[in-house]
Amino acid sequence: MVDGLATVIIIVGLVVGAYGGLMALLDRAPQLPQLVGLAALEVALLVQCVIALGKTFSGERPDQLATFVGYLLTTVLLPPLGALFGWSERSRWGSAIIAGAALVVTILVVRLQQVWHG
Amino acid sequence: MAEHKGHRHTGSGAGKVLIGVYALFALSAGARAGFQITQRFTEAPVAYSLSALAAAIYLVAAVALARGSAVARTVALVCCSVELAGVLVVGTVSYLLPRSFPDATVWSGYGAGYGFVPLVLPVIGLIWLHRTARSRPRETESTSDS
Repeated sequence: MVDGLATVIIIVGLVVGAYGGLMALLDRAPQLPQLVGLAALEVALLVQCVIALGKTFSGERPDQLATFVGYLLTTVLLPPLGALFGWSERSRWGSAIIAGAALVVTILVVRLQQVWHG
Repeated sequence: MAEHKGHRHTGSGAGKVLIGVYALFALSAGARAGFQITQRFTEAPVAYSLSALAAAIYLVAAVALARGSAVARTVALVCCSVELAGVLVVGTVSYLLPRSFPDATVWSGYGAGYGFVPLVLPVIGLIWLHRTARSRPRETESTSDS
Protein backbone atom coordinates (compact mmCIF):
# COMPACT_ATOMS: atom_id res chain seq x y z
CA MET A 1 0.00 0.00 0.00
CA VAL A 2 0.99 3.59 -0.52
CA ASP A 3 0.12 5.59 2.57
CA GLY A 4 0.30 8.99 0.85
CA LEU A 5 -2.02 7.93 -1.95
CA ALA A 6 -4.44 6.39 0.53
CA THR A 7 -4.58 9.69 2.40
CA VAL A 8 -5.34 11.53 -0.85
CA ILE A 9 -8.11 9.02 -1.66
CA ILE A 10 -9.63 9.41 1.80
CA ILE A 11 -9.65 13.21 1.46
CA VAL A 12 -11.14 13.13 -2.07
CA GLY A 13 -13.70 10.55 -0.94
CA LEU A 14 -14.76 12.72 1.97
CA VAL A 15 -15.02 15.81 -0.26
CA VAL A 16 -17.10 14.00 -2.91
CA GLY A 17 -19.23 12.49 -0.16
CA ALA A 18 -19.79 15.81 1.59
CA TYR A 19 -20.58 17.60 -1.68
CA GLY A 20 -23.06 14.90 -2.72
CA GLY A 21 -24.63 15.00 0.73
CA LEU A 22 -24.98 18.77 0.52
CA MET A 23 -26.59 18.54 -2.93
CA ALA A 24 -29.01 15.93 -1.58
CA LEU A 25 -29.91 18.24 1.30
CA LEU A 26 -30.44 21.09 -1.18
CA ASP A 27 -32.78 18.81 -3.15
CA ARG A 28 -30.56 18.75 -6.27
CA ALA A 29 -30.21 15.86 -8.69
CA PRO A 30 -26.65 14.80 -9.54
CA GLN A 31 -24.83 17.17 -11.89
CA LEU A 32 -21.51 17.00 -13.70
CA PRO A 33 -19.26 18.00 -10.75
CA GLN A 34 -20.35 14.91 -8.85
CA LEU A 35 -19.43 12.66 -11.79
CA VAL A 36 -16.07 14.42 -12.12
CA GLY A 37 -15.51 13.84 -8.41
CA LEU A 38 -16.23 10.14 -8.72
CA ALA A 39 -14.02 9.92 -11.81
CA ALA A 40 -11.10 11.53 -9.94
CA LEU A 41 -11.68 9.10 -7.09
CA GLU A 42 -11.72 6.20 -9.53
CA VAL A 43 -8.40 7.18 -11.13
CA ALA A 44 -6.70 7.31 -7.73
CA LEU A 45 -8.31 3.98 -6.74
CA LEU A 46 -7.11 2.30 -9.95
CA VAL A 47 -3.55 3.49 -9.31
CA GLN A 48 -3.77 2.21 -5.74
CA CYS A 49 -5.17 -1.12 -6.94
CA VAL A 50 -2.36 -1.65 -9.46
CA ILE A 51 0.37 -0.71 -6.95
CA ALA A 52 -1.12 -2.86 -4.18
CA LEU A 53 -1.59 -5.89 -6.46
CA GLY A 54 1.97 -5.40 -7.76
CA LYS A 55 3.33 -5.41 -4.23
CA THR A 56 1.23 -8.45 -3.38
CA PHE A 57 2.58 -10.41 -6.34
CA SER A 58 6.16 -9.45 -5.47
CA GLY A 59 5.83 -11.00 -2.04
CA GLU A 60 4.81 -8.10 0.21
CA ARG A 61 1.37 -9.18 1.32
CA PRO A 62 -0.97 -8.83 4.30
CA ASP A 63 -2.01 -11.80 6.45
CA GLN A 64 -5.64 -11.59 5.39
CA LEU A 65 -4.91 -11.65 1.68
CA ALA A 66 -8.42 -12.63 0.50
CA THR A 67 -10.05 -9.88 2.53
CA PHE A 68 -7.53 -7.38 1.24
CA VAL A 69 -8.02 -8.27 -2.43
CA GLY A 70 -11.79 -8.36 -1.93
CA TYR A 71 -11.82 -4.84 -0.49
CA LEU A 72 -9.40 -3.65 -3.16
CA LEU A 73 -11.59 -4.85 -6.04
CA THR A 74 -14.73 -3.47 -4.36
CA THR A 75 -13.14 -0.01 -4.11
CA VAL A 76 -12.50 -0.02 -7.87
CA LEU A 77 -16.03 -1.19 -8.69
CA LEU A 78 -17.95 1.21 -6.44
CA PRO A 79 -17.41 4.61 -8.14
CA PRO A 80 -18.57 3.51 -11.64
CA LEU A 81 -21.53 1.59 -10.22
CA GLY A 82 -22.41 4.50 -7.94
CA ALA A 83 -22.16 6.92 -10.87
CA LEU A 84 -24.43 4.84 -13.12
CA PHE A 85 -26.96 4.13 -10.40
CA GLY A 86 -26.91 7.65 -8.94
CA TRP A 87 -27.10 9.37 -12.31
CA SER A 88 -30.12 7.28 -13.30
CA GLU A 89 -32.06 8.68 -10.33
CA ARG A 90 -32.87 12.28 -11.28
CA SER A 91 -33.68 13.52 -7.80
CA ARG A 92 -31.90 14.34 -4.55
CA TRP A 93 -31.66 10.60 -3.95
CA GLY A 94 -29.31 10.30 -6.92
CA SER A 95 -26.95 12.72 -5.16
CA ALA A 96 -27.36 10.68 -1.99
CA ILE A 97 -26.31 7.51 -3.84
CA ILE A 98 -23.17 9.21 -5.22
CA ALA A 99 -22.33 10.53 -1.75
CA GLY A 100 -22.87 7.08 -0.29
CA ALA A 101 -20.61 5.41 -2.87
CA ALA A 102 -17.82 7.91 -2.13
CA LEU A 103 -18.14 7.45 1.64
CA VAL A 104 -18.19 3.65 1.41
CA VAL A 105 -15.00 3.81 -0.70
CA THR A 106 -13.44 6.02 1.98
CA ILE A 107 -14.32 3.53 4.71
CA LEU A 108 -12.97 0.65 2.62
CA VAL A 109 -9.65 2.44 2.07
CA VAL A 110 -9.32 2.95 5.83
CA ARG A 111 -10.04 -0.77 6.29
CA LEU A 112 -7.49 -1.60 3.55
CA GLN A 113 -4.84 0.33 5.47
CA GLN A 114 -5.70 -1.57 8.64
CA VAL A 115 -5.58 -4.96 6.90
CA TRP A 116 -2.31 -4.12 5.14
CA HIS A 117 -0.56 -3.07 8.33
CA GLY A 118 -2.10 -6.01 10.20
CA MET B 1 -41.50 3.53 -14.11
CA ALA B 2 -45.20 3.57 -13.24
CA GLU B 3 -45.10 6.89 -11.48
CA HIS B 4 -47.15 8.72 -14.09
CA LYS B 5 -50.25 6.88 -12.87
CA GLY B 6 -49.79 8.09 -9.32
CA HIS B 7 -48.41 4.78 -8.15
CA ARG B 8 -45.24 4.96 -6.22
CA HIS B 9 -42.72 2.48 -7.41
CA THR B 10 -40.55 0.89 -4.71
CA GLY B 11 -37.53 1.26 -6.97
CA SER B 12 -37.39 5.02 -7.48
CA GLY B 13 -36.51 8.00 -5.33
CA ALA B 14 -35.40 7.02 -1.83
CA GLY B 15 -36.12 3.43 -2.84
CA LYS B 16 -33.14 3.52 -5.13
CA VAL B 17 -30.86 4.35 -2.21
CA LEU B 18 -32.38 1.40 -0.36
CA ILE B 19 -31.72 -0.91 -3.32
CA GLY B 20 -28.12 0.31 -3.47
CA VAL B 21 -27.56 -0.46 0.21
CA TYR B 22 -29.17 -3.89 -0.16
CA ALA B 23 -27.02 -4.66 -3.20
CA LEU B 24 -23.88 -3.56 -1.35
CA PHE B 25 -24.73 -5.78 1.61
CA ALA B 26 -25.56 -8.72 -0.67
CA LEU B 27 -22.14 -8.29 -2.26
CA SER B 28 -20.13 -7.88 0.93
CA ALA B 29 -21.94 -10.50 3.01
CA GLY B 30 -21.98 -12.88 0.03
CA ALA B 31 -18.30 -12.53 -0.77
CA ARG B 32 -17.38 -12.96 2.87
CA ALA B 33 -19.64 -15.98 3.34
CA GLY B 34 -18.38 -17.54 0.11
CA PHE B 35 -14.78 -17.21 1.28
CA GLN B 36 -15.52 -18.51 4.78
CA ILE B 37 -17.55 -21.48 3.56
CA THR B 38 -15.01 -22.58 0.98
CA GLN B 39 -11.91 -21.99 3.15
CA ARG B 40 -12.89 -22.94 6.70
CA PHE B 41 -16.49 -24.05 6.91
CA THR B 42 -15.88 -26.47 9.82
CA GLU B 43 -14.71 -23.68 12.15
CA ALA B 44 -18.14 -22.11 12.46
CA PRO B 45 -20.65 -23.79 10.17
CA VAL B 46 -23.71 -22.14 11.72
CA ALA B 47 -22.25 -18.63 11.56
CA TYR B 48 -21.09 -18.98 7.97
CA SER B 49 -24.35 -20.52 6.81
CA LEU B 50 -26.24 -17.67 8.43
CA SER B 51 -24.03 -15.14 6.66
CA ALA B 52 -24.76 -16.85 3.35
CA LEU B 53 -28.49 -16.87 4.12
CA ALA B 54 -28.37 -13.17 5.01
CA ALA B 55 -26.55 -12.41 1.76
CA ALA B 56 -29.18 -14.31 -0.24
CA ILE B 57 -32.00 -12.43 1.49
CA TYR B 58 -30.31 -9.08 0.80
CA LEU B 59 -29.98 -9.98 -2.86
CA VAL B 60 -33.62 -11.07 -3.19
CA ALA B 61 -34.76 -7.92 -1.37
CA ALA B 62 -32.73 -5.71 -3.72
CA VAL B 63 -34.18 -7.37 -6.81
CA ALA B 64 -37.73 -7.32 -5.42
CA LEU B 65 -37.53 -3.61 -4.56
CA ALA B 66 -36.12 -2.87 -8.00
CA ARG B 67 -38.99 -4.70 -9.71
CA GLY B 68 -41.77 -3.26 -7.57
CA SER B 69 -44.65 -5.37 -8.89
CA ALA B 70 -47.34 -6.64 -6.55
CA VAL B 71 -45.63 -10.03 -6.21
CA ALA B 72 -42.25 -8.35 -5.76
CA ARG B 73 -43.67 -6.19 -2.97
CA THR B 74 -44.80 -9.31 -1.13
CA VAL B 75 -41.38 -10.88 -1.64
CA ALA B 76 -39.71 -7.73 -0.32
CA LEU B 77 -42.05 -7.70 2.68
CA VAL B 78 -41.12 -11.29 3.51
CA CYS B 79 -37.41 -10.53 3.07
CA CYS B 80 -37.50 -7.50 5.36
CA SER B 81 -39.51 -9.40 7.99
CA VAL B 82 -37.14 -12.40 7.93
CA GLU B 83 -34.17 -10.04 8.10
CA LEU B 84 -35.58 -8.16 11.08
CA ALA B 85 -36.40 -11.42 12.89
CA GLY B 86 -32.96 -12.79 11.98
CA VAL B 87 -31.00 -9.81 13.24
CA LEU B 88 -33.03 -9.69 16.47
CA VAL B 89 -32.75 -13.43 17.17
CA VAL B 90 -29.10 -13.82 16.14
CA GLY B 91 -28.19 -10.55 17.88
CA THR B 92 -29.81 -11.71 21.12
CA VAL B 93 -28.32 -15.21 20.93
CA SER B 94 -24.87 -13.80 20.21
CA TYR B 95 -25.04 -11.85 23.48
CA LEU B 96 -26.62 -14.59 25.60
CA LEU B 97 -24.67 -17.55 24.19
CA PRO B 98 -21.49 -16.13 22.62
CA ARG B 99 -20.05 -19.62 22.22
CA SER B 100 -22.69 -20.62 19.70
CA PHE B 101 -21.06 -18.22 17.23
CA PRO B 102 -17.30 -18.74 17.22
CA ASP B 103 -17.02 -16.31 14.34
CA ALA B 104 -19.09 -13.23 13.62
CA THR B 105 -22.01 -13.13 11.20
CA VAL B 106 -23.60 -10.08 9.63
CA TRP B 107 -26.30 -10.27 12.28
CA SER B 108 -24.11 -10.84 15.38
CA GLY B 109 -24.45 -8.17 18.07
CA TYR B 110 -27.43 -6.77 16.16
CA GLY B 111 -25.12 -5.95 13.25
CA ALA B 112 -22.62 -3.96 15.36
CA GLY B 113 -19.77 -5.01 13.04
CA TYR B 114 -21.52 -3.25 10.17
CA GLY B 115 -22.50 -0.06 11.97
CA PHE B 116 -25.90 -1.52 12.96
CA VAL B 117 -27.00 -1.12 9.34
CA PRO B 118 -28.32 -4.74 9.32
CA LEU B 119 -30.66 -3.76 12.17
CA VAL B 120 -31.83 -0.46 10.67
CA LEU B 121 -32.12 -1.64 7.05
CA PRO B 122 -35.14 -3.99 7.41
CA VAL B 123 -36.97 -1.36 9.48
CA ILE B 124 -36.42 1.25 6.78
CA GLY B 125 -37.44 -1.33 4.18
CA LEU B 126 -40.72 -2.03 5.97
CA ILE B 127 -41.44 1.69 6.40
CA TRP B 128 -40.69 2.25 2.70
CA LEU B 129 -43.01 -0.58 1.65
CA HIS B 130 -45.72 0.83 3.90
CA ARG B 131 -45.32 4.37 2.57
CA THR B 132 -45.34 3.37 -1.08
CA ALA B 133 -48.34 1.09 -0.52
CA ARG B 134 -50.36 3.79 1.20
CA SER B 135 -50.07 6.20 -1.70
CA ARG B 136 -50.85 3.57 -4.27
CA PRO B 137 -54.65 3.58 -4.59
CA ARG B 138 -55.19 7.35 -4.34
CA GLU B 139 -53.40 9.63 -6.69
CA THR B 140 -53.80 12.64 -4.41
CA GLU B 141 -51.58 11.17 -1.72
CA SER B 142 -48.70 10.47 -4.03
CA THR B 143 -47.74 14.13 -4.01
CA SER B 144 -46.75 13.99 -0.35
CA ASP B 145 -43.24 12.95 -1.35
CA SER B 146 -40.37 14.53 0.54
